[in-house]
Amino acid sequence: MSARPAPASAPPIAAVRGVDKVYADDAGRTRTILKNVDFEVRSGEVVAILGPSGCGKSTLLRILIGLIPPSAGHVEQHGIPLEGIHPGTAVVFQNFALFPWLTVEENVRVGLNGRPLPPSEADGRVKTALKAVGLEGHERDFPKELSGGMKQRVGIARALVGRPELLCMDEPFSALDILTAELLRTEVYGLFTERASGLSSVVLITHLIEEAVFLGDRIVVMGADPGTVRHEIVNTVPHPREYRNPDFLAMVERIHDAITRVHLPEEEEVAGPATQTTTLGGRRAAGPVAPLPAVRLGEILGLLEILADHGGTMNLFDIDALTDYDFGRTIAVAKAAEMLDLVDTPKNDVVLTNLGRKMIRASAAERPALLRAELLALGTFCLVIHELAKEPDTPVAADAVRDLFAERLPTVDASQLFDTLLNWGRAGQLFEYDAAADTIALFSGREEGPGG
Amino acid sequence: MRRASGLAVDGVLVLLFGALVAGVVGLAQRWEAPIRQAVEIDLSPSALPLYTLLSLSRGFAAYLLSLAFTLVYGTIAAHSKRAEKVMLPLLDIGQGIPVLGFLPGLVLGMVALFPKTNVGLELACILMIFTAQVWNMTFSYVGSLRSIPEELNEVARLHRFSFWKRFRTVELSSSVIGLVWNSMMSMAGGWFFLTVNEAFTLGDRDFRLPGIGSYMAVAIEKGDRRAMAWAIVAMTVMIVAVDQLLWRPLVVWSQRFRNADIEGADAPESWVLNLMRRSRFLRRMRLRRRRRPRAPAPPASPESAGAVPGGAGERVRAALVSGLGIAALAAALFGAWKLVGLLVRVPAAKWLVLAGAVGATGVRTFSALALAAAWTLPIGILIGRSAVWSRRLQPVVQIVASFPAPMLFPIVTGALLVLRVPFGAIAAVLMLLGAQWYVLFNVLAGASAIPHDLDEAADVYAMKGGARWRMLFVPAVFPFLVTGLVTATGGAWNASIVAETLNWRGTALETFGIGSLITRATREADFPLLTAGVLTMSLAIVVFNRLVWRRLYRLAETKYSLNR
Repeated sequence: MSARPAPASAPPIAAVRGVDKVYADDAGRTRTILKNVDFEVRSGEVVAILGPSGCGKSTLLRILIGLIPPSAGHVEQHGIPLEGIHPGTAVVFQNFALFPWLTVEENVRVGLNGRPLPPSEADGRVKTALKAVGLEGHERDFPKELSGGMKQRVGIARALVGRPELLCMDEPFSALDILTAELLRTEVYGLFTERASGLSSVVLITHLIEEAVFLGDRIVVMGADPGTVRHEIVNTVPHPREYRNPDFLAMVERIHDAITRVHLPEEEEVAGPATQTTTLGGRRAAGPVAPLPAVRLGEILGLLEILADHGGTMNLFDIDALTDYDFGRTIAVAKAAEMLDLVDTPKNDVVLTNLGRKMIRASAAERPALLRAELLALGTFCLVIHELAKEPDTPVAADAVRDLFAERLPTVDASQLFDTLLNWGRAGQLFEYDAAADTIALFSGREEGPGG
Repeated sequence: MRRASGLAVDGVLVLLFGALVAGVVGLAQRWEAPIRQAVEIDLSPSALPLYTLLSLSRGFAAYLLSLAFTLVYGTIAAHSKRAEKVMLPLLDIGQGIPVLGFLPGLVLGMVALFPKTNVGLELACILMIFTAQVWNMTFSYVGSLRSIPEELNEVARLHRFSFWKRFRTVELSSSVIGLVWNSMMSMAGGWFFLTVNEAFTLGDRDFRLPGIGSYMAVAIEKGDRRAMAWAIVAMTVMIVAVDQLLWRPLVVWSQRFRNADIEGADAPESWVLNLMRRSRFLRRMRLRRRRRPRAPAPPASPESAGAVPGGAGERVRAALVSGLGIAALAAALFGAWKLVGLLVRVPAAKWLVLAGAVGATGVRTFSALALAAAWTLPIGILIGRSAVWSRRLQPVVQIVASFPAPMLFPIVTGALLVLRVPFGAIAAVLMLLGAQWYVLFNVLAGASAIPHDLDEAADVYAMKGGARWRMLFVPAVFPFLVTGLVTATGGAWNASIVAETLNWRGTALETFGIGSLITRATREADFPLLTAGVLTMSLAIVVFNRLVWRRLYRLAETKYSLNR
């Protein structure tokens, strides 16, 4: 669609400038979802926003079109401040958002709301939209009677029927099975390239690199905690795009690298400055208090097993291909393993360390001690242990720890961080948790007290 | 199978029910109650705390009875497929029948059993409260038992859990949340007929019990406004106290039994607990909270659990169930015979009057429901759509709803009489007074359950004003509205017994209807007419359920269901 570029002087169709979004949970803890985000959509382009789940990309989309207000910064349409909802938008929702009590045709007609048209033209448009997505003959069906793929076709027809200048697609294929998603993706590609139904600009939200490269003219890579725009890459892969095409693969590789650099920066190889030494951990300088990747310890051990089966070294993308995770999650697991010194990640490779090998060979009874030594080197664990060690026999309310996290790491989901801490810490026999009381305490097993 | 055998079951149940009516009435006729010292009600405010406590303890006694009934009945119904077929429809009917019609028989019988003391009267009163509490608790319990994941039951079988262990670890813990929630509702519902239950008169005999209900009844009779106001204050204090001190913490406590795999709506909150959570001081304290004594893990000893071998247990149960079935059938037949004996004494002309009365009350019921829907639909949607307002108002509405409507009857009647509204219409409003809350609650729940993405779609596609109500709010709330209306119907029919006749400052107001007919039959001790009236009303409720509500239910479950 870069075939019809807008004059450079024209203001973007929609833009956010310096936008922050902060949410507060029920307990009053705030979390910064988006931080100082600049983003714009120009006329005639397909922008793919790529990022791991929870990075705030859906929030960004909703701020862009006025569904939710930003906490700071401002939103523009055609260069003027946006009030209410951007009038020229249509949205294709992840879970379709069809009205179950309306027929397919009535659902599509919803897309014409607020656009007064003579009845004959409205009928014609509905018919054209239904035809464009291959729904002829289903006009009188109810959404319940349709498969997921057909439902999303209704969603797309509803979006196209109003001829929006900005079409937003929020993970439009992720609620579908793989084969259906692939078929629909190809059809949407066709709609984009044929500029069907007067389509102008598109924002596509996705967590799949291939999907972004397949459909996007420009790819915006977002990072999480807090959500920010990390990279913008102009997609130079020529049309028609095919997954096996060398240009396509090169672009995928380039985005992989960009994401890896965002999430596994090389400078982390250098040990961070010690901020505090714990009374308990005492042996080693602790790292800074930093968020933990939200992965379970079982996943980390699984990664080690996969590495061991493949000679101890693997490319990150090959690991990704072996798992059914999206790329961001694979990276998170690798990052977690690296934090625990179980792997190294030079460039895009993941290499098992000596400790990693030892961990795999260790019996289930030996693992906690190995793990504990590593956990005690992490500032986040030291912080909590320090708090618990003040009165070792007294459990502390988990909420107090969550509050502590929210204070120290305001951009992180404190509850999620606590869950991760608990998962790792319990595997390392550092903590005990009482689910009924929601309290955490130092591990009190007699033979293997953490402090010795 | 569903239709034919369902109808047969209904037939048997109607007969059984008739037997019960005949039995209770017969009991009452046989033992004419001896003369008893009437209780004098002291209208001074200082007497109220004691009266309130007395009423409260009756409510709790009835609640314990309801709980015991629920656990036993529910367990039997859930463990036997055959028993369930009878027991579930029985509950359905129990929920709809005008229990107040039983009051005279029950009171006379009980008083005859304990002629010298108030024990019989107390028992009768507790039983009446029980009948207002028990149904939804039992429904909830049976529902929970039936939705226990099959894997859990299989684990219990594989590890040969004893009956008690299974009951404790699997069944009770799976149903605690629903049980606590419904207990709360039941306690509230139990107060409804308090003014009648505690201040019952039959003919010229006075069966009064000291309590807040009789206090109010006497205050209304004497037109003592100050006393009425005091009674309302006392009732409100009691409801709020029980809600905040007992139910809220219990509801929050029960959340620990929440099965994370079937996550439902938001966790309910208790302001007591929230206050504690918000407080900075307590946050510090919590860091230093004493270690709770840890309960030792229950010893897992599969061998020691003396389980009955499956085959024999099954056979015993089958024999038991068929035995019960035969007994029930015999009772039904006997009851039918007794019933006919009573009913033939009702002259043909009276039957015509009864039919007309059902029609009149039916019109009133439906006007009340229409009124309820008309105001609760917009208000409920508006409140339910706003997270802030629904959080703020829900506890208030809940407490207002727990307030026994009959205590407000005189005030509403007084106001409407001033406006020269005929009493026939006033009665419909009075029936609405108690029933509307069921509708409001359901609409509220429905409005707050509207899926977020549908809402966003309506935003994006400029669905505004009327269109949004027509295409999103009303259809999305429809299934909830139907549920609320069905529940409210039962309530409205029942309320007609107290709403169609009213003692207003010494003048007896009365309007033609099945409710006033039953009340008059009670007053005049006309047992055949009373029986016929109760039966006719029950029949009307069942018929309306079948003809109207079932269809709407089906529509709600198919077209308007949000299960996409």
